[in-house]
Amino acid sequence: MTLFHFFNCAILTFGPHAVYYSATPLYLSLPEKNLAKFESEYDTLGTSIKAALVYLGTALVKLVCLATFLKVSENDSFDPYQELLKALIGFIDVAGLYFALTQLTHRNISQNHKYQAVGLGWAFADSVLHRLAPLWVGARGLEFTWDFILQGLEANANLVFSISLAALGSLMWLRKNKPKTLIPIIYACAGIVATMPSITSYLRKGLGWHFPKVVGFELFTSLVMAFISWQLFSACQRPSS
Amino acid sequence: MSSKNPRERQMLESIYSMIALVFILVTCVDLCDAATVVDVYRLIQYDISGVPFGSRFATLNHHAGSLHFAPGADLSRTVLVIPVRELNITFVKEYISQRKPLGGLLFLLPQMFNFGNREAATEGKYQVREKELMNTVLAELERLLIHANIPYPVYFAFEDDDIDAVLADVKRSDVSGQPATATTGGYKLVVSAPEPKKIVSPSITNIQGWLPGLKADGDPNQLPTIAIVASYDTFGTAPALSVGSDSNGSGVVALLELARLFSLLYSNPKTRGRYNLLFGLTSGGPYNYNGTHKWLRSFDQRQRESIDYAICLNSIGSWDNELWIHVSKPPENAFIKQIFEGFSTVAEELGFEVGLKHKKINISNPRVAWEHEQFSKLRVTAATLSELSAAPELLESTGGLSDSRHFINETAIVRSIKLVAESIARHIYGRQGKNIQIFADNTSLAVNSPYIRSWVDLLSKTPRVAPFLSKNDPFVTALKKELEDHTREVNVHHEVLDGMFTLYDSTKAKLNIYQVASVTFDLLLLLVLGSYLITLFTFLVITTRGLDDLISLFRRPPSRKVKTA
Repeated sequence: MTLFHFFNCAILTFGPHAVYYSATPLYLSLPEKNLAKFESEYDTLGTSIKAALVYLGTALVKLVCLATFLKVSENDSFDPYQELLKALIGFIDVAGLYFALTQLTHRNISQNHKYQAVGLGWAFADSVLHRLAPLWVGARGLEFTWDFILQGLEANANLVFSISLAALGSLMWLRKNKPKTLIPIIYACAGIVATMPSITSYLRKGLGWHFPKVVGFELFTSLVMAFISWQLFSACQRPSS
Repeated sequence: MSSKNPRERQMLESIYSMIALVFILVTCVDLCDAATVVDVYRLIQYDISGVPFGSRFATLNHHAGSLHFAPGADLSRTVLVIPVRELNITFVKEYISQRKPLGGLLFLLPQMFNFGNREAATEGKYQVREKELMNTVLAELERLLIHANIPYPVYFAFEDDDIDAVLADVKRSDVSGQPATATTGGYKLVVSAPEPKKIVSPSITNIQGWLPGLKADGDPNQLPTIAIVASYDTFGTAPALSVGSDSNGSGVVALLELARLFSLLYSNPKTRGRYNLLFGLTSGGPYNYNGTHKWLRSFDQRQRESIDYAICLNSIGSWDNELWIHVSKPPENAFIKQIFEGFSTVAEELGFEVGLKHKKINISNPRVAWEHEQFSKLRVTAATLSELSAAPELLESTGGLSDSRHFINETAIVRSIKLVAESIARHIYGRQGKNIQIFADNTSLAVNSPYIRSWVDLLSKTPRVAPFLSKNDPFVTALKKELEDHTREVNVHHEVLDGMFTLYDSTKAKLNIYQVASVTFDLLLLLVLGSYLITLFTFLVITTRGLDDLISLFRRPPSRKVKTA
């Protein structure tokens, strides 16, 4: 029964990534022979894997920085300076994403799909690193808590955030001709999405929100951000097309 | 592309094997994360000559239920959690005597019986009336459980906030009519204990202390001896909780204090009497005084004959006005008369009464109700001083759950000690009938109340069921050291308990209480997630590739057939 629960939470946490990969043109390709080998005309699997590896590297760098610069607080309160430091270290994330989007050589992939593949790989690596171990260890026990289901929902929100951030990132760094008026909005949205972790930890520790409330907030803002970045993307598409 | 394929396939394969390895490694980690973990104490399990008694199982893995279950519900996979405060003894009696199937029983004792928890045990907030009621209920429950053969685990735990909350929850769901089975959620109680094993060759340890008297020069005869004996081990419903403060902690404390007082007297040769004093702390009391029997057999004939008389102390800690002296020789016997008169004179002076009770020994009956009977069987004059007026049955009054610290009245112990000390001293120094107080208050020979209190406290915290006390148990060593302080020579005899009684181990365990979700919940969740993923899939397909592509997904197989044909 408890492995059942683990299975449920696992498909909630990792299912959407698989669904996204198979539903969008990332997966579907025209010749059948490529389908059998999980490849596509567009080298999306390779891109996603490379993005996941970049995430791994970024996580390691962030850990080292956190260990060096942060001090361990005794109580669980919200310390503004520590949080500011954490936010700054969080920008290493953005740097990693930049690296994944621009520096890696991706063969045979269009701009449209590149950011999706990178975002997907990024989010998948994030879910696996942060959520697989607690899930395996915790969800298999007899005791039932809502935590793992909430964690899965959080993973979903994270997926949307990663893809939006990747989209905004590709807008910022890969697209040369952007309408001037939209540039500040793009940067503002990117800033908000990048600082999401700090915002959620402020909500949890500073305002004392409970986990379900925080997850609800994350889901809501992720949808809002996705919508905004979709609009921005299509707005930037129009001049070029 | 073809050159890349084998490489890609190799990479994928290596990834899969790595994942499999990680999974195998992680399955070896077995974590237990219950919401609540409670210490529980198992009901005793023992055999008398092969006949089984007590609870025969230790492992527990069932749902929790309360007394508000629907009548006629199947309880064979339920553990009934019953607070002793709300105990309905007829219900339990019915269940046990009719051998109805049950998953297990968990009794919740009020915190005042918890000797481990200091503040709770010494709280005086319970009224005397409530305490008495609790004691009678507990005594009846114990009598029922000890003499029954129960084919499921029975555990005792102390009430605390966590377990009270769990019980309240369980009661609520029971009252609302949903049976607590695997499909409707609830709480699961899990005790993972090893299967109980027989304790092979249980050891009982007798400790004796010898205070020699003053031998006149040139006198070849051996000095007579007076023996003071008390058994120190207990037997109760929950062996890990059997502290037996009154039966027989009070006796042990009295013996130690008497040893101290007489050692003070005997330290100075001018006040040393012409009697040897023998102090015996025996074990195996509940088992027909098996230890005393073996201890006496270890003496040789001459030593045994030199014992003038022996006083056995048994439960002298909670009486008010009357003590009893139990003898097996007929009361008309001159020596018995002399001893009894000595005791009653002193008692009168101290302001209470002492009665005499005679019980004949039946040699063919293996049951030994009083310790003095073991002496009498070997022709040594002996008597037992006790607050109990009737002989206890087998395994009764041997230190059960209700026999805890608050049951004891220290002044009763003090008065008993004064009684025994004065009577023996007057016999030794030949001052019978004379109104002299040798151990008067406010003298250097006064009875030391703090000493008594500290030993009673220690005894009320130490469960002392003999088969579970090893040869080098710290408590036994402590008793030995204490006697060494007060007497000249201390001997420790290790014996093996006779085969009629067999006890089983596994007396303490940890209970894990898990809040579990039902299988229907998991199925529902699966359904919801499945539909969520399908919706997500269709949404994404429609938005990124258009509705036609979605429809073409379902039409592809026929189109393929058309192509090949």
